[in-house]
Amino acid sequence: MKRKGFTILAVMLSLMLIIAGCGGKSNDSSSTGSNSTNNSSNSGNASEGSGGSDSAEQVELTLNGWGASPEEEELLQQTLDEFMKKYPNIKVKYEVIAEQYMDVIKTRLIGGQAGDVFYLDSVEAEALMEQNVLEPLNGYVTDEFDIADFEEPLLNAFKGADGNYYGFPKDFSTLALFYNKKHFEEAGLSGPPTTWEELIEYSKQLTKDGRYGLGVAPELARQMFMIKAYGGEVVDAEGKAAFASPEGLKGLQLVIDQHLVDKTSAQPTEVGAGWGGEMFGQEKVSMVLEGNWAIPYLDNNFPDLEYGTAEVPTVNGQKGTMAFTVAYVMNKQSKHKEEAWKLIEFLTGKEGMEIWTSKGFALPTRKSVAAKLGYDKDEYRSALVAGAAYATPWQAGKYGPVIMNNFNNQFVSAYLGEQSLEDAMKKAQDTSNKEIDAMQ
Amino acid sequence: MNRRKLREAAAGYLFLLPTLLVIGTFLLAPIVYALFLSFHKVQLLGGISYRFIDFDNYVRMGADDRVWIALYNTFEYAIIVVPLQTALAILLAAVLNSKLRGRNAFRILYFLPTVTSSAVLTLIFMWIFKTDGLLNDLLGVFGIQPFNWLGDPKVALKGIMLMNVWSTAPYFMVIYLAALQDIPDSLYEAAEIDGARTLRKFWSITLPLLKPVTFFVVTMGIIGTFQLFDQAYIFSNGSGGPNNSTLTVVLLIYQYAFKNLDMGYAAALAVMLAAVIMLVTVIQRRIFGEEKLN
Repeated sequence: MKRKGFTILAVMLSLMLIIAGCGGKSNDSSSTGSNSTNNSSNSGNASEGSGGSDSAEQVELTLNGWGASPEEEELLQQTLDEFMKKYPNIKVKYEVIAEQYMDVIKTRLIGGQAGDVFYLDSVEAEALMEQNVLEPLNGYVTDEFDIADFEEPLLNAFKGADGNYYGFPKDFSTLALFYNKKHFEEAGLSGPPTTWEELIEYSKQLTKDGRYGLGVAPELARQMFMIKAYGGEVVDAEGKAAFASPEGLKGLQLVIDQHLVDKTSAQPTEVGAGWGGEMFGQEKVSMVLEGNWAIPYLDNNFPDLEYGTAEVPTVNGQKGTMAFTVAYVMNKQSKHKEEAWKLIEFLTGKEGMEIWTSKGFALPTRKSVAAKLGYDKDEYRSALVAGAAYATPWQAGKYGPVIMNNFNNQFVSAYLGEQSLEDAMKKAQDTSNKEIDAMQ
Repeated sequence: MNRRKLREAAAGYLFLLPTLLVIGTFLLAPIVYALFLSFHKVQLLGGISYRFIDFDNYVRMGADDRVWIALYNTFEYAIIVVPLQTALAILLAAVLNSKLRGRNAFRILYFLPTVTSSAVLTLIFMWIFKTDGLLNDLLGVFGIQPFNWLGDPKVALKGIMLMNVWSTAPYFMVIYLAALQDIPDSLYEAAEIDGARTLRKFWSITLPLLKPVTFFVVTMGIIGTFQLFDQAYIFSNGSGGPNNSTLTVVLLIYQYAFKNLDMGYAAALAVMLAAVIMLVTVIQRRIFGEEKLN
């Protein structure tokens, strides 16, 4: 009896495995292999894909993006409403991915659940363009769309190795120096620093009473232009990490020394803030390098703050800053590509971009729109607009995320003085390249 | 062997079928699939494909510094958290088992952290851990210099430890409480007649009789600490930083699986973690002896 029981059990178990195995393979494989992982960001993935209705008349598009302030979301909805008015047969559903956007969107792309059109940050663009999941857009572009109108560095961030455009930048921001006018007055400083030497000197005068001169974000996205200032490169031609060169270290050393030797700069966690804008708003630092996003934030949360913006001080006699941009890209698996293009065309076209950037939450990537809205003369934004001409776009090759992760991890440790900058950067570079090799 | 017995057996398995199906689909099949994945190089984006690569994924672990850092962090975390939370749980249970005024209110109060979602807890604790936050203020009262709990690699993991001991100890306290009620009063009475004091009674009666429960608590504690993910994830915003100080094995698996989309390697890491947990549990069984759990 006992033996027979085991046989039956064994047969049943193996049967079940076969059934389950077959089912598992045809389903989306994104959920497997994670049984021990508490993948919180993967839950709530029950978006219905595009193409709910088969009738040729009404088409519903899904647009994926990350969350923003309520005002920004309202403005985007307004832009989308405008689009739907123009194309009454297309309905756009805007779906927010609140956390870990890239992880979620990649998983959805694998499972065929990603939106027809979605946001793509420039730093992730090179990796995704290689993976054959984005629709090349060259075939859709008309003369009327006027590609030449885009700021070229921003446009090129989404140009694949094959020469195709895979997305068009919807907006951008550079970094500028935000400085607290009151603190400057108290310290007897007449205006913002224009060179990095001045910035370091001013910081010494501004640091007092638990307040620091400069707020620093010790991460690659904010420090890349410091690497380039003395001729260093973040990645080499093959896309491998190369930032630990003597030239690269020279710029970064300035950042480290100001923190460890002068003790006139601080990162947000040191003063109990979440990010640069917050510590600047709370007047825990007198200067900070931030982007356009900080302006509405400061206006809303710290209306009494008296501050000004200026171009990032020159390092090694050269102007430099970072440019952050995001594009609309089309999912290759989209069932409604014509309509999806219409949406991209509208949103990144002159009309849509003007609505979207009209309130100054983001800066337009089209020269014509920028000129029309007059941001180059705006009190706070002119410094940001000026930076576009010489900015380093936020991109670190096709292995950007790996390089970014390792750089950030080690740079923080050097910033805190746990190890020398050289050791830290060598370690970060080696680890990155080892990981890249293993990915081949 | 007759037909009746066979039919009885068949009926038995029929009753078991729903459970077997559920376990098979959600437990056994994923385990088998994870094993399968761990021997493959999996390409996910732009067309799914598998390539058999033998033990390459396992060999790769040896040279991957981050695996060793993650293992080290996880071990450090387990070695500090498990004894602390177990001791705290026994202590709380013993106190709340005595005839204390308002002990029910205390029981509820102590148990509350366990009910709270760990994500919410982490977010609240991140406020407490801020440089100008509650904890540093409290330490300041005792003249201790403030720590940068969120930004300093030396103390970031300690912060998570503190939070976890505080939130899981009460859960094990309840298990101890239940076990304490099972210890017959007659034993204590006999000991009292023999002249034993409170501490002696606790040491010679309570603790030995709680041994099977302690085995359970320590095992569950170790498994729980080895699977530490959500707190580290929220704390470091998914990066395991600063300087890999909050990188745990499960967080590393998450990063490889969903950031790098390297499912094969991630599955291999998961298998490795399972093996480590099993090994630790076996060692524990040796330490605690072969007693049966009831």
